[in-house]
Amino acid sequence: MTVSQRQGPSRVDRAPQGDLAQVIDLILDKGLVIDVFVKVSLVGIELVTIDARIVVASVDTYLRFAEATNRLDLHQKGGKDLGQVVGGLTEGVTQGGAKGKTKGMIEAGKEKFDDLRDERRSRKEREA
Amino acid sequence: MSTATYIYAVVGAEVELPEGLAPVGGGDEVAIIDHGRLGAVVSDLARDRPLGGRDDLIAHERVVNTLARATTVLPMRFGGVVENDTAVVDELLGHHHDYFVWALEQLDGCRQFVLHGRYDQDELVSSILAADAEIRELSDSVRDADPDATYYERIRLGEAISVHVDRIRAADAGFARERLEPFAVAVAPKDPAEEDSALELALLVHRDRLADFEQAVDALGDEWDGRVRLRLIGPVAPYDFLPEPTGES
Repeated sequence: MTVSQRQGPSRVDRAPQGDLAQVIDLILDKGLVIDVFVKVSLVGIELVTIDARIVVASVDTYLRFAEATNRLDLHQKGGKDLGQVVGGLTEGVTQGGAKGKTKGMIEAGKEKFDDLRDERRSRKEREA
Repeated sequence: MSTATYIYAVVGAEVELPEGLAPVGGGDEVAIIDHGRLGAVVSDLARDRPLGGRDDLIAHERVVNTLARATTVLPMRFGGVVENDTAVVDELLGHHHDYFVWALEQLDGCRQFVLHGRYDQDELVSSILAADAEIRELSDSVRDADPDATYYERIRLGEAISVHVDRIRAADAGFARERLEPFAVAVAPKDPAEEDSALELALLVHRDRLADFEQAVDALGDEWDGRVRLRLIGPVAPYDFLPEPTGES
């Protein structure tokens, strides 16, 4: 089975390695475990690994899907019924608080990532 | 200062180390200890230094995956440390020589890729709304209402959508697998990490099929254009396809 030659640029992003969370998942959860092979000369080194995995509670997922339907309604109804659009917009504003709360956890996680990245970059710059 | 030996990976004896690899934990250099048909990729590590900062994790990953791009690698999990180089030869490479040789043969010429897919959420939810009248009604009923008063309705709405998403995701995963499996030595689905994840698939690909495999991935990307954004990571070490050590070798 062969695939015919495609035209134009690829729509698939390519990267030599994943982002930090994916890297961590691989090297902490996968790979051959030394204890299986070495019994006598094993050296226990204290492991202080950062837990960069972001856990998303399912309720937050549900609420975000619900918000997505709301957002779509705004897109689709825009220009057709001014009253509804204005109503929708106000709703969007009042909903901001609740949205902030459900998204807070994930964004906090992402901010933490960005902090980590900045720190790494700045350290490299210092060394340079 | 007392040092121990940190182990990154096991490779074939003939493997040359790429230059400029930075060791975990600030050691001097990454080196290879040869024994029989094998080599262990190692560096010195201070015994009193805790491990696991992101620099350590990144350093480990860089060493293993730089090697993986050039040769077949059996990656060790992060944090494997033994007393000294003698222990690497005697206990690791010596005692388990045949297993490692066999495992390297199993994976010879193969590289791991990980394919991530992410839904365009608006497109996804639109398609679900279009397909399910009950969800449309529920969505209409909460839209103009006070969000706090409709908290549980919104959860019910999201949950109903989520049921569809799970079904769509399973179908897409099956479809992607069907398309790519002919070009892979092995396929291992991984759990999708986030709510808009469409796909998370580890694939072991032989270098002879690499061009065809990449074309098949591109074709899938074309087919799913606007629906699922694909990201192909690799080649990385075959973390998801390591042959199990069975008993004592």
